[in-house]
Parts: sequence; C-alpha cells; structure tokens
Amino acid sequence: MQKQNNLLWVEKYRPKKIDDITGNDEAKALFLEWLKNKRHTKKAVLLYGSPGVGKTTLVLAASRELGFSVIEMNASDTRSEKAINAVAKPATSYKALDNFTENAKASGNVLFLDEVDGIAGNEDRGGVNAILKVIEESLVPIIMAANDPDIEKLRPLKKVCLLVRFQQVRIPLIIALLQKICMLEHVSAEFEALERIAQNSKGDVRSAINDLQSLSEENHSLTLQDTMLLTSRNKDISMDETLKRYFSAQNIAETSTMLAFSSVDYDDFLLSVGDNLPKRYPDAFELAKAYDYVSQADMFRGRIGTENWHLLKYFYNALTKASAVNPQSYKPFPFITPPIRIITLFWTKSKRNTLDAICGKIGAQCHVSHKTAKHDFIPYIRAILQKKPKSPLVGWFKFTPEEVDFLSKMSRF
Amino acid sequence: MTIVLNCKGFKFPRVDREKFVSLIHLGLDYDRNTGLFSIKSYNNIEKVIDTASDILGDEVVFLQNCIRCGKDFPCRGCNYIELCATKNLPFSCVCPQCLIDRKNFETYLTKF
Repeated sequence: MQKQNNLLWVEKYRPKKIDDITGNDEAKALFLEWLKNKRHTKKAVLLYGSPGVGKTTLVLAASRELGFSVIEMNASDTRSEKAINAVAKPATSYKALDNFTENAKASGNVLFLDEVDGIAGNEDRGGVNAILKVIEESLVPIIMAANDPDIEKLRPLKKVCLLVRFQQVRIPLIIALLQKICMLEHVSAEFEALERIAQNSKGDVRSAINDLQSLSEENHSLTLQDTMLLTSRNKDISMDETLKRYFSAQNIAETSTMLAFSSVDYDDFLLSVGDNLPKRYPDAFELAKAYDYVSQADMFRGRIGTENWHLLKYFYNALTKASAVNPQSYKPFPFITPPIRIITLFWTKSKRNTLDAICGKIGAQCHVSHKTAKHDFIPYIRAILQKKPKSPLVGWFKFTPEEVDFLSKMSRF
Repeated sequence: MTIVLNCKGFKFPRVDREKFVSLIHLGLDYDRNTGLFSIKSYNNIEKVIDTASDILGDEVVFLQNCIRCGKDFPCRGCNYIELCATKNLPFSCVCPQCLIDRKNFETYLTKF
C-alpha cells in the first residue's frame, strides 16, 4: 500500500485496460483490429502522435489484455544494427513457448520499439535498416511508436507499416480524467482549476496528470489560484523569447523552470548563450565566471550525446548558473540569434565546398587524404599559384579557373 | 450554411470515379447496400473533411460522440473550441452538459 502511495500518479493511474485509455478511440479500434486479426497481412504497425496521447499505454494495455509478452526497446537503449539484431532477432524468430502450453491466454511475443524517430547518430547507425530486415523476417507482430513520423529516415518504415495516427487528447476528455483522479485521490478541486491544467497541457495527458499531482498532492485541494504557479507549456517558444527570459531571470529557480519548459534546440541554445554573454555581463570577472559555467554545460552536452539523457539535469544546472552570476546587473540588450557559428557556417558553405573539391582533386592525384591535402599541400600550391597562375600544376590537378582564383586569393582556411 | 455529418454513416451525391477513388484512398468505406459512406481510417481526416466540403459545396462538420451520455453533439457549443486541435472532426469527447453535471459524472465513475 505504501508503495502504491509513493507512485507518481501518471504510473498509478496508467490505464491497465484498453477501455480506460482516454481519447483516441478510433486509433485504439484500428490498432486492436490489426493486433487481433490483421497482423498476419501487415507485420508491423507504426503508432504516431504527439507525446502523452497514449501510444505506449495502449500497447502495454492491449498486450496485457490479449496475452502478449512485450519485448521493448526504447530511446534509452542503443538501437544500432548490432543491438537490434541481438534483441529483436531472437524475439521475432521464435514463437514463445507459451503457445504450446495450456495457457489459453498466451498469444506469444510482440516486439515494441518505442520512439523510433529518436534513432539517430553514430550510436544508432544502421538501426532503421535492421528494423526493416526484422520486419521482413519476423514471426511475431512488431509495434513501433513515434512522435514525428514525417522525418526522412522513417520513410522506408512507413511503407511497410500500418499507420495509426493519434490525435491530441481533447480538453474535455482531460478534464474528465482529472476529475476522476481527484475523486480517487480525495482532492477537492475547483472545476476552473482543472480546466486551466487541461488547457495548459495542450493535449498531453501525462503532463496534465503531473501538473495536477504537483499542485494538489500536499493539500488535497486545488484552487484556480494554485494553478497560477503553472508555467505555460508553450511548445513553440522562440529562441529570442527563451534567451530573453534566460538572461532576465532574477534567480536560479526562475531560469531552471523556464528551461524545463522550453523546447529550443540544446546546441543552438548553448551557442546563442555563448555569443550573447559578453553583452549580458560587461564586467570581465562576471563574464569569465559565466563562461566557466557555459563550458561546463558544453562538456555535459558532449557527454549526453544521443542517449545519456540522464545527464541533462547537469547541463541545465550549469547553464542556469551562468544566467545568475549577477541577476541585478541585467539591462535589456538586442540578442544575437542564430548563433554566430551557424551564421558563419552558412556564409562560408560555398567556400568550404570549393575547398573540399580542391582537396578531393589533390587527394586523387597524390593519393593522400583530404586532411593531408588541406594541411600539407594547399599552402604550397597556393604559394605557387600566387606567383605563377598558369603553372602546369593547374592542368595536372585539373583545377577549374574558379578553383585557381579561389586558391590564389584565399587568405586562410 | 454548415452541413453536419455523422461519421457512422453519411451520403454524398453521385461523384465521378476519380473522386470516389480518392475518397476511398483517404480512408472512407462505402456500403453498396445502403449507399452510405463511413470512416475507416482517421489518418487523413482533415483531408476527408476538405473533400466532403468540396463535394457538398458547403462547410462540413462532424458530430461528436459523448463518452459519458453516449449522445451525438456538435462542437459549436463547446467552450474550448478555439483551443481544440481537432474541432469538428469525428472523435469522442465529453458534451458540455456532462462536463459540468455532477450526477452524470458519478454514474460515469461507477464504470471504473
């Protein structure tokens, strides 16, 4: 009982039965129809929709009700070709022993790949191709879930899957669910307060339940006044707005809350903070201190990579400290966005492409790598071409007139 | 004028072959016996509503089904219509009366 009381409400009230899942009845019906009858014609299904709409919950509840054992790989697992083959192949190549027992409810295994749109980077290399192969050879149903199915790398997967779209859960349905939880948790809540939580959640049931718990668990009561503490879950917050709130925060807690709700790209944000710090802290000592924190944040970002997201709190902590070196000294200033590094990369793209083509030509003729060509050959070739633009080297390397011009005029690379 | 459709079954005037095929591709089902269309897949529901408006020459909205009282109702009486990402689309919901009606809510809770 004690254990049950300590649970997060999201887990405590995670629906165990399919009928208890709030909203998306049409998606539920389509998925169940596939799992019960059509999984032999289409081996895989892709459930897609924004976070907190019930994709994972539906898979777990349906598997429980229909007697499937779920073998799950989610975003916290490495999902490279090797890892998928190690887990998914055995799981999908053999029928479960349960099928041969007298347990009438046992239906075998299902392979559940959660957040497939998160398969990215070097760690997950070859992941999508491995999944395609597993689908082709699988003897068991394969279920995948994604927030954004429109990304390029999922296109091959979409072709072989039944697609089931999940919509944002409607506000009245979220209010109804919150009313139910309040009743079961003996929370006396004002209707307007529940209404505000539901509106603030933007169709995300999980965040609505978390907000309800954080606001009402202690006092077992909830008023509209209490919900004023909620920060808007504005998922479209711009970089400018995030930077404005970041630099103008009066204390660490304010920055921390703002960062938790912002959805700007971590790398872009880190670069933007770095670029704007000199404007924020005119005092050299404060600036040095702030840069020290930003460098710590950068270090944690590097360690996070694509999968160590448990380190994100340290990244945020370091960034938060950088914003609060001296809150009193804040004076509004125009922000530099996007980060200078990105602007520079944009402006130098054609130059970099030309240099790359030149390095390729040198590499092909002299049998060296691009790096060697760039560092060991180009300085000398440039010096020769600056003195003698019609050198026989031009013909030998097959440089175009633009490339010769580029080499003669380039100052640094 | 707005045309209100019930997603369980609705009629269209006779459409050409191309239009019919596009409707089926968008996820509609057609019952030859009754001549009624129904929604089989909700993945392209926004496009279904656009095509239906195009065929019927007027704005089309679908009725909602209340999960508490089971009645069909339109979105127009809802307080949250401006904030809803799926307004007028045929998905289950809670009707405005049921949302504030305590008695109905308690009956609904007995299901759990």
